[in-house]
Amino acid sequence: MSDRTAPLPSRLLRGAHRTLTGLHPALESLLAGVVGLLIGAALMYIWGYNPWRAYIALFRGAYGGSYEWASSIARGTPLVLTALTFSICLRAGMFNIGAEGQMYMGAIASVSIALFALPDGLHMITGLVFAAFAGAAWSLVPAFLKLTRGVHEVISTIMFNWIGRWLALYLAIYVLVDPARAEKTLSIPVGARFPVLVRGTDLSYSVFLAVAVAMVVYFVLWHTAVGYEVRAAGLNPTAARYGGIRNKRTMFLSFILGGMAAGLAGAAIVMGLPPTYAIFGGGAMPQLTNIGFDGMAVAMVGRNHPIGILLAALFFGGLNAGGRVMQFYGSNPVPLEMVRVVMGAIVLTMSIPELIRLFPAIRSQGERFIGLWKRAVERSRRRSA
Amino acid sequence: MHEDGMATSSNGGDGYFLRAEGITKIYSDGTAALKEATLEIHRREIIGLLGENGAGKTTLTKILSGLLPPTKGRVISPRGPVRFSSPREALDFGIGMVHQHFALVGTFTATENVALSHERPFSRIRLEQTKERLEALMAESGLRVPLDVPVSQLAVGEQQRVEILKVLSRDVDLLILDEPTSVLTPLEVDELFALLRRLRDDGRSIILITHKLKEVRSVTDRIVVLRQGELVGDVRTRDTTTEELARLMVGRTIDERSDAVELSDEEIPMHREARRAAEDRNVLHVEDLVVRGDGGEIAVNGVSFDVRSGEIFGIAGVEGNGQSELVEALTGLRPAVSGTATIRGTNILGVDPRAIYRLGVAHIPEDRWKLGLVLPFTLAENAILGIHRWDEFRGPLSFLRWGRINRHVRKLIDRFEIQATGPSAPARSLSGGNQQKLIVGRELAKDPAIIVASQPTRGLDIGAAKYIRDLLSEMRENGRAILLVSADLDEVLARADRIAIMYEGTFMAIRTPEELDRETIGLLMGGVTAKEAA
Repeated sequence: MSDRTAPLPSRLLRGAHRTLTGLHPALESLLAGVVGLLIGAALMYIWGYNPWRAYIALFRGAYGGSYEWASSIARGTPLVLTALTFSICLRAGMFNIGAEGQMYMGAIASVSIALFALPDGLHMITGLVFAAFAGAAWSLVPAFLKLTRGVHEVISTIMFNWIGRWLALYLAIYVLVDPARAEKTLSIPVGARFPVLVRGTDLSYSVFLAVAVAMVVYFVLWHTAVGYEVRAAGLNPTAARYGGIRNKRTMFLSFILGGMAAGLAGAAIVMGLPPTYAIFGGGAMPQLTNIGFDGMAVAMVGRNHPIGILLAALFFGGLNAGGRVMQFYGSNPVPLEMVRVVMGAIVLTMSIPELIRLFPAIRSQGERFIGLWKRAVERSRRRSA
Repeated sequence: MHEDGMATSSNGGDGYFLRAEGITKIYSDGTAALKEATLEIHRREIIGLLGENGAGKTTLTKILSGLLPPTKGRVISPRGPVRFSSPREALDFGIGMVHQHFALVGTFTATENVALSHERPFSRIRLEQTKERLEALMAESGLRVPLDVPVSQLAVGEQQRVEILKVLSRDVDLLILDEPTSVLTPLEVDELFALLRRLRDDGRSIILITHKLKEVRSVTDRIVVLRQGELVGDVRTRDTTTEELARLMVGRTIDERSDAVELSDEEIPMHREARRAAEDRNVLHVEDLVVRGDGGEIAVNGVSFDVRSGEIFGIAGVEGNGQSELVEALTGLRPAVSGTATIRGTNILGVDPRAIYRLGVAHIPEDRWKLGLVLPFTLAENAILGIHRWDEFRGPLSFLRWGRINRHVRKLIDRFEIQATGPSAPARSLSGGNQQKLIVGRELAKDPAIIVASQPTRGLDIGAAKYIRDLLSEMRENGRAILLVSADLDEVLARADRIAIMYEGTFMAIRTPEELDRETIGLLMGGVTAKEAA
């Protein structure tokens, strides 16, 4: 870091996006989490559930013991990677909504290693390289369209999500299908799987992959000239050009890096999430669906900073893991969907400051109404005096 | 129609329509933009508001049109004091302003744009009625504009007419135009002036903000001159001369400058000699350079000059006459149409900024916030912008050497007296003067052969401005070449060895400061050549 005298927390979050509430970014994220949970509680109350008991079940299921922790971390692992996809591109000044599609391509590419045999370690590395390559390739097309034709990346990446999804499903059902069980693809050979880290849980060594990628992203962005260029171009493209930075290059680079992270997310699920080690084509790929989109929420709560993303992924992973417990909890079975409501509420809360920034009119109207209200209060006070 | 407008129009014989009394405006940073300015606006007249950059023209009109509250003084009409808290209230009163940068929605037609300007929250938009009204207005004023074409497809002059129409549709009595001719072709200028005369004859008052002497004389009835916030002249156009206007506008004699170079008489010849030795070394050579502006217009129109080591070559002139485009073309930020520009024989046109820096160019950009700094970045991060790939700061695997960078930044902080908490303070937290010192420090640390400094002291307090000017002089003594582009005439006169005066994309003249008196400069800046004035 540039200044070792600054206190650790502020050093860790240096460069995280400025907040509008004036709070520390981490605090603002925490606040959004609390507000999200409160909104969820209100909805549970309205529909006749006991929110208190539901949340106790949720948090016990998420962080109540070592098994629960392992399960939460396992669920957070792919989210770290897809969150990094979104964050890298956002730091470069672009909205890459395409982590979902890039992740599908990564997953399919890693399954394809089941078609051939290799020595164990090499086989696994091949799977990871395939996945990273496929994810990067899938993100390059929108990047290329943007650079040459000016197609906005939000539009093209969303479209590529759908192309990616159906292409992956097609390959899962017709090409890589397991001849013995038509509902799933071939399984990753045992030697190419991430070994289980905590016996009896689905937490595998893939978590180290996610943490390692987060660290690499951190070092690239804050400790290399290339990352410096990416961040400069994202914050002020005009100044970056003045500084001799080729903005097109940084754009391309951030899409490649982001695509690789998303591809690895696909690999982390297929190669590192017991017990299946395969894609369920017949079930429309349930273990993959939404990992890319949830990653965007994680990135947002994690303030687009690798360290923040690790913490936020732990929280979202916990919500996913604990949600399963919540829905089976004795006399108060709250549907799993409620967890998604909470996630949605958190994302909405997080985006309110951003909305105000994007639409100053909202703020000025708000201030006007506050002013009117104050004047009315004053008038009534004067009248009563 | 509105009652205020009705009342004032029946009061037309009272002598004035609006009177600004003792207006003083002091901005929150302490700069006094206007000092005790008093101005009467009559019906049926076109007033030219003349002055250099920063003379207070825009501030005065913003106060009149309700965009800014005055610090002291008041605006009164014959019916009593008027106070506006928004441009909309000023419009309701009958004062409308056409800004230099248009506020039009490009995909909307003229009718839709005008309807939009009438819109209030939850009001209904009646396009048919608006169109009928505009047609009537166009017939009445003689101003013609296609109503059903998206305005982005209209020429700039037509877009300006849409803006004027927008304001006229609000039944204004006073129309304020901010530098309306700067974007127009000569033919469009003639049309605009004909329109303004018609509007005046219909009983409206018009204020025309400009710095162009010829134009202001051709169309106005009365000319008000502002200089450094003071109203220094209020003359009838037919009773004045171009020379008088130029003198009023530029004013101060060179001796009155607050921060002239402090060199005693004995020192000067010595420096001059020392410099002369290096003088024949041409660093920058520019020939017949033509550059387009953002709107595709020719902004720099065939400029030729040399900058030698050990000299400050100043470019003076009112902003917006092509200086920015010239600097951008020379620093790799804007392509040139034709011509040549070389640094010690190497071409720099159409070359990457990074490659240009490698030739020994330092660039102090005119816009600190847009170009010079990445505001959310720290001091350390900003201090390596453009030189972040130098071996000094970049190790193997492209790793940045933060230790060295921080040491470098601490040196800059000490050497250039930057008031900051340390290398990790965000650049945003610095004051304007310290931000500029950071940029200047970064650029000078490149050990450049030529420094391109564009408006290097704009917006700075006197102390910081003097500090930066002294640094530039010091660099000159060290044998660097300096291209100083500044709208601050005093700065250029005090520091430059040769001065080019730029007007509408060309150099009116290249002279030494000794050859220039304030009247000549005023004339040249206003686009009048010495011959024409004679």
